[in-house]
Amino acid sequence: MTSKSNNLPAPLALPAPRRLSAAWQLRLKGLALPVLIILLLEWVVRIGWLPSYQMPAPSEVALTLGDLAEGGLWKHISASLLRVLLGFAIGASLALVFAAWVGLSREAEAYLEPTFAGLRSIPSLAWVPLLLLWLGIDETSKIVLIAIGAFFPVYLNGVAAIRDIDRKLVEVGQMYGFSRRRLVRRILLPAALPGLFTGLRSGMSLAWMFLVAAELIAATKGLGYLLSDGRETSRPDIVLAAIIVLALLGKLSDGILAALEKRFLAWRDTFNGQSAED
Amino acid sequence: MPEHLLDIRVERKTFAATTVLKNIHLQLQPRETVSLLGPSGCGKSTLLRIVAGLEKDFQGELRNTAGEVAFVFQEPRLMPWLTVEQNIGFSADSHYDKTWVAQLIEEVGLGGFAQALPKALSGGMAQRVAIARGLYSRPQVLLLDEPFSAVDAFTRMKLQDLLLQLAERHAIALLLVTHDVDEALYLSDRVLVMDNRPSSIRQELAVELPHPRDRRDPLLARLKALSLTELQRAHVI
Amino acid sequence: MKPTFRFPNLRYLLSACALALSLQPVAQAAETPPAEVHLDYAYYSPVSLVLKHFGFLEQALPQTKVSWVLSQGSNRSLEYLNSGGVDFASSASLAAVLSRANGSPIKSVYVYSRAEWTALVVRKDSPYKTVADLKGKKIAATKGTDPYLFTLRSLQQAGLTKDDVELVHLQHPDGRTALEKGDVDAWAGLDPHMAASEVQAGSRLLYRNTNFNSYGVVSVTDTYAKEHPHTIETVLSAYEKAREWAVKNPDELAKLLAAESGLPLEVAKLQLSRTDLSSPQLTAKDVLASKAAAPILVSEELVRRGVNVDQVIDQLIDTGFKETVARE
Repeated sequence: MTSKSNNLPAPLALPAPRRLSAAWQLRLKGLALPVLIILLLEWVVRIGWLPSYQMPAPSEVALTLGDLAEGGLWKHISASLLRVLLGFAIGASLALVFAAWVGLSREAEAYLEPTFAGLRSIPSLAWVPLLLLWLGIDETSKIVLIAIGAFFPVYLNGVAAIRDIDRKLVEVGQMYGFSRRRLVRRILLPAALPGLFTGLRSGMSLAWMFLVAAELIAATKGLGYLLSDGRETSRPDIVLAAIIVLALLGKLSDGILAALEKRFLAWRDTFNGQSAED
Repeated sequence: MPEHLLDIRVERKTFAATTVLKNIHLQLQPRETVSLLGPSGCGKSTLLRIVAGLEKDFQGELRNTAGEVAFVFQEPRLMPWLTVEQNIGFSADSHYDKTWVAQLIEEVGLGGFAQALPKALSGGMAQRVAIARGLYSRPQVLLLDEPFSAVDAFTRMKLQDLLLQLAERHAIALLLVTHDVDEALYLSDRVLVMDNRPSSIRQELAVELPHPRDRRDPLLARLKALSLTELQRAHVI
Repeated sequence: MKPTFRFPNLRYLLSACALALSLQPVAQAAETPPAEVHLDYAYYSPVSLVLKHFGFLEQALPQTKVSWVLSQGSNRSLEYLNSGGVDFASSASLAAVLSRANGSPIKSVYVYSRAEWTALVVRKDSPYKTVADLKGKKIAATKGTDPYLFTLRSLQQAGLTKDDVELVHLQHPDGRTALEKGDVDAWAGLDPHMAASEVQAGSRLLYRNTNFNSYGVVSVTDTYAKEHPHTIETVLSAYEKAREWAVKNPDELAKLLAAESGLPLEVAKLQLSRTDLSSPQLTAKDVLASKAAAPILVSEELVRRGVNVDQVIDQLIDTGFKETVARE
């Protein structure tokens, strides 16, 4: 930011004017729009243009969040988090296994891919009555629903990532006489990692979506339950509070995956949205 | 007579309906440098791949007494997620010989880049890593498929000299595929000129000059003229 | 009207005209029939089924398009009312109180039935004998409806709160299925599904209490009450016609209920046997009854802190239409 000059005398040790670092400037830019919307909403509801029984003012929602935080919010959050993480883990692991199998074997692809393609096109909510019927209204049906949600993006991206691998790299391994397992471990898996991460992040967001679907139907706790609570007792402020918490948790879990992605994929030589260093 | 390191005889090699190679017989002596010179698509890369064992479907016979054979591709083909050091020791998984790798890094002129990622390397530097990788297994024969065609002329000359140094120091035989007449003559003891497909070896030129060679040497110029005449006769140019 | 060329500023003129025109509806005393009116109907409101079946309202409002929406419970009907999906909603009175207490600007204008329509139901082979036995167990109950509030009041009487049990939120028909499948230990039932479960699956009513049942009301929004009082009177007259037919023809009523709900005649008869259609007016007694029931909403934290529920009830219950109702 300040240019160095060799022939000027050493500058006085004055405190430099405070400039926000680039990272903070970026964050502030991102916050500008939401803050604006919140302020606008608050004003619009206060002056009565929007009825508060349909759109509660942000300040009211904040109060409700405070009340909930003192009460049962943490119970709901932990119930939802547990379901999402468990469902996601199960769905993603299965998807990775199947993706590797189908990606590496034309035979497996011929047998399995059509079935998966069909299952994939079943909309999420259509699974709910079936799972409720077969697995009851307990945790099992919810976790299975979430696992189904997480499965398909991870599977799809996994297969695509494996198919996308540069044949030239694989040839290097073949030239060294690598066995199938060694090829997978040393070349195919690391090379497919970028696509896999995309799938994982997409699977995570779908897991949250399926979680809400599962909890809206038959639950005794959780954020989706809180959502329906607000709906059934005419408390739109609770509905909004639940949505906000869901959004925050979703963003948090995605952020963790994004950080992991950044760490494990630092070697990538790709376009990052900037034309030159600035 | 010294034992041939490699003795390859290809009677016929086809891709689908096209015959690419026909009646090829090639022998490689220890510490010898041989170039396969010819136009694109004439099958010289295919021949090299047969020697490397990457193409197994051909009519003929490959006798390999050399044991370790290493390959350097036209592109560096480095694993982008591994450092230079890890790439060089790639064939040994994670327990590669660090000292040997360090020495190779110095020898190819990449001192200080051991921890660099491929995305930080220029084309020439990446190709040096590929050569080092080829040398890691201490091969007796190094196969190179147009190794310097992707870099600029000046880098190419530097890399050619490096290759010769390494071959000399580690007593390696080189079998090199190239479409660059100057390169073939500068590097090799023998230049095998191939024609269009279905190709066989049209002519063998012996370059009896000691290393290190001078690029301005008139013998090289005369040999170049000979090769060009032959290539013209083969309707390659 | 104002001469056009007197004012140089056209914008001033136009806004003045607009203001004048907008004052016209307030100036007029007469109300034109609406273009559309939306009502709900439900199996827990037998009179609504009669009204829909015979078309009394369509006859009374020939210029108006009358549309009907099936309601699966008080929670749904109040949601439709609040979102503008219906103009007239059939719900339990206590559920309406809850809705109003949470800010929905609604008014109850008519009682469509007084029934013992909810109780705590268990399977026929279940070991539970009292409400206290349900501690720690799963109870299916539809949030925001009378069965849910019934459950809370029964639990309170047995010394339990809603955190002492696991309340599973399922709409009434799904709650029945869950009970009969064994997914839940008890179910806060609602007729006709409750009667159906008794008749078809032999389920047992673990706990009954007529006092914990609230009466059923038809509600409208505040705005609608202000803008369409005449329409409300017309609708209530039609409701009265249907109610009188229902009272005079109990056997046909049972057949109609069975046909509409798809349940056996026996079930319909059981439901009607505990339904009283004789007094549709909202009276001071009803206000008191609601106020007596309201504390459960506060104690179980279903309403926001600091809400004066008694005041809410006063605002909610509109006894003004009993003239219309009494006239019929």
